[in-house]
Amino acid sequence: MSESDAVNASRRKFVTATAAAVGAVMGTVVGVPALGYLASPALEAGGTDAWVPLGKLDSFPVAVPTPFSFTRSRVNGWDKSTRSYTVYVLRDEAGVKVLSSRCTHLSCQVTWQADQNAFTCPCHDAKFGAQGEVLHGPPPKPLDTYETKIEDGTLLIRVVEA
Amino acid sequence: MSELETDQTLQINVTRKRSPGTTAMNEEEKREYQEKYRLAKLHGEKFFPDTIYKDVLISFALFLLLIGLATFIGVAPEPKADPSDTSYIPRPEWYFLFLFELLKFFPGSLEWVGTAVLPGLAVALLFLLPFIDRNPKRHWKNRRFAAGLMSAIVIGMVALTIRAVVTTPPQAEATVAGTLAEQIVAGQDLYAVHCVECHGADGEGGKIQGVQGLEGVTLKPINSQDEMYTRSDETLYAVIELGQQTLGMPPFGRAYSGELSPGDIESIVAFMRYTWDDRAEMPKAAEQASTLPVLKPGETPDYATHIEPVVKRYCVSCHRPGKENNNYLMRTYDEVMNSGDHKPNIVPGNLQSNLIRMLRREEIEAGGPMPPSKPLKPELIEMIERWVIAGAPEKASGPATK
Amino acid sequence: MASKWISRLDERTGIVGVYKTVFDRKIPKVNWWFTLGSASLFLFSVQVVTGILLSVYYVPSPDHAYDSVQYIMTGVQFGWLIRGIHHWAASLMVLVVFLHMLRVFFYGAYKYPREITWVTGVVLLLATLGMGFTGYLLPWNQKAYWATTVGTSIAGTVPGIGDFILRALRGGTDLSAVTLTRFFAAHVWMLPLVILTVIGIHLYLVIRNGISAVPKDHE
Repeated sequence: MSESDAVNASRRKFVTATAAAVGAVMGTVVGVPALGYLASPALEAGGTDAWVPLGKLDSFPVAVPTPFSFTRSRVNGWDKSTRSYTVYVLRDEAGVKVLSSRCTHLSCQVTWQADQNAFTCPCHDAKFGAQGEVLHGPPPKPLDTYETKIEDGTLLIRVVEA
Repeated sequence: MSELETDQTLQINVTRKRSPGTTAMNEEEKREYQEKYRLAKLHGEKFFPDTIYKDVLISFALFLLLIGLATFIGVAPEPKADPSDTSYIPRPEWYFLFLFELLKFFPGSLEWVGTAVLPGLAVALLFLLPFIDRNPKRHWKNRRFAAGLMSAIVIGMVALTIRAVVTTPPQAEATVAGTLAEQIVAGQDLYAVHCVECHGADGEGGKIQGVQGLEGVTLKPINSQDEMYTRSDETLYAVIELGQQTLGMPPFGRAYSGELSPGDIESIVAFMRYTWDDRAEMPKAAEQASTLPVLKPGETPDYATHIEPVVKRYCVSCHRPGKENNNYLMRTYDEVMNSGDHKPNIVPGNLQSNLIRMLRREEIEAGGPMPPSKPLKPELIEMIERWVIAGAPEKASGPATK
Repeated sequence: MASKWISRLDERTGIVGVYKTVFDRKIPKVNWWFTLGSASLFLFSVQVVTGILLSVYYVPSPDHAYDSVQYIMTGVQFGWLIRGIHHWAASLMVLVVFLHMLRVFFYGAYKYPREITWVTGVVLLLATLGMGFTGYLLPWNQKAYWATTVGTSIAGTVPGIGDFILRALRGGTDLSAVTLTRFFAAHVWMLPLVILTVIGIHLYLVIRNGISAVPKDHE
């Protein structure tokens, strides 16, 4: 009786080991692709990198940040949609500066308040100066700026997205 | 050993006592069965490790089979659902084929027998099997009727399935654009065939020439920012599918007696959007596939590499069956060389052949300038001329056979 | 050390008893045909795992179902593998479950005391076919559309109540977005719940009554 018990015990070890090995193989063969499958959108490279025309430079007022909105169409998975951007164009003697309207703190939309001479953020009371510099509040850095160029009097900005 | 002997005694008891197949098991027979089963277990094996070992091996074998099937056969691509497609041959998955085939044998008035009565009966019999079949015997040799009936049913199902497979006509080929890039490229080809004759190769519009019923009508460009920014994909889709009949555009959707399937129209919309809308960026793969080949200095042009893409984009729209084109078709190399009322339109080595003269916008007996509305770009005409001089070869090696 | 933890755990959960009942039991000597049941269970598990993964990207709406499946096949990493496995395991599962039924039939294993096990098995066979039927509408392709049109029309020919069944299946007179969402609900919620519950009963009965023995010539 004890002998067959010993045989049984060793067989059990063998079967357990086989089952574990088979399980590990199946887990890896399906598990690793499954992780890639779930993380797939995060691993995708394609973003956008394009020069977007904002119109004639002369049409923007001088020394007052002027909002300008445009859209880019994008493909995300099966979904083809457009994404809106708002930028502020600031034109002065030094040239032209295009600021992002996204607060550098947590991405709320800032608005230009002429009476305060500042961009204010509705979320955590941040304030930015006309040049985008932080005047008040939690933002870690000034408003983002876009690379600009002027072709035939038309202002273009470079929109880059990872 | 003593256990085995008991087993045999029991067997004698059972065979002596009853004639099979008449009544349900009585209490004594149930006890006898349980006793025999107890003995079978005594002589048996342990679920773990003995039985489970086989289970693990079989599961693993199935797993490998699945990975193999998924990797090497995969899932056949199917076009999108299209209620207007009359050429599609509907078939269910293979495991319902026997039922599908069975229905061919029932005339209309008795259809409900095949669709409701037989399947209903089969399900009911399956559920009630243990309560109908009271024969206490278990080996198939002692259950000839039951085993025979089930075998007949299974053979019937297999036969019906085979018959269904054999009698199914082959499905018409349908191209399925998988990625956006494939869709755009497919859309470009479709645009070249169906749209170019009126809207121009680049959607530039202008005065229509050589299109029956629309001669001289002037079309606005459809590639402009105004057009692209204010027309959504859905709008473009509807315009192509339904046409704009008061403006002279016929419907192209198959559901409205046009030639295009919903997938085709979606491809054309994708092509328009990604080619003309400056808010959308053309995927790299599509960009490469959609640029016309450029002839390197000193390179000899051939039909397959250099000429076919040009012909496809600028000519086939009119030079295909069912259009007014003096029977000059341009879908294949052979047609380009040898068809038409004024053939040959291309003579290898001869720059005075019809095609070249018409490309140079001469008015000749065979017809007027081509393409009618707008000349080809000079570099494309030059490429075609060089191809004709080189003997109009079909493939990169050697001149044309004719 | 390990045994101390096991005994503590057992004191609170009775886990050792469960282990003994499920794994440490004697059964009659059986052959390879007896693996079809566990193979069905394995394939069902594969379907649950791959099905959950597919639901991450799949959209049950006629506007997007086809595109989302195309995206799974061409855009998502290993999407082709996950869908490929789900597709083939569905076919294999129908086959294996059917063969399992035939094995039980030809060995007379549905007889006393396993009649109820058989009945639960028939429920599982029908539910598996139901999974197949509801599953292949979901990609919203030509095969899906037409096979479902034919399949639901078959149900519509039942005398008297046919029209009612047809409308109930389709959620209207025609195949539409409503049909797709109800097939989706059946495929991912109702039928899997039925299958899980009945598998539980089926396995309980198999363990309680033991696996049937291979019948001998005279039995």
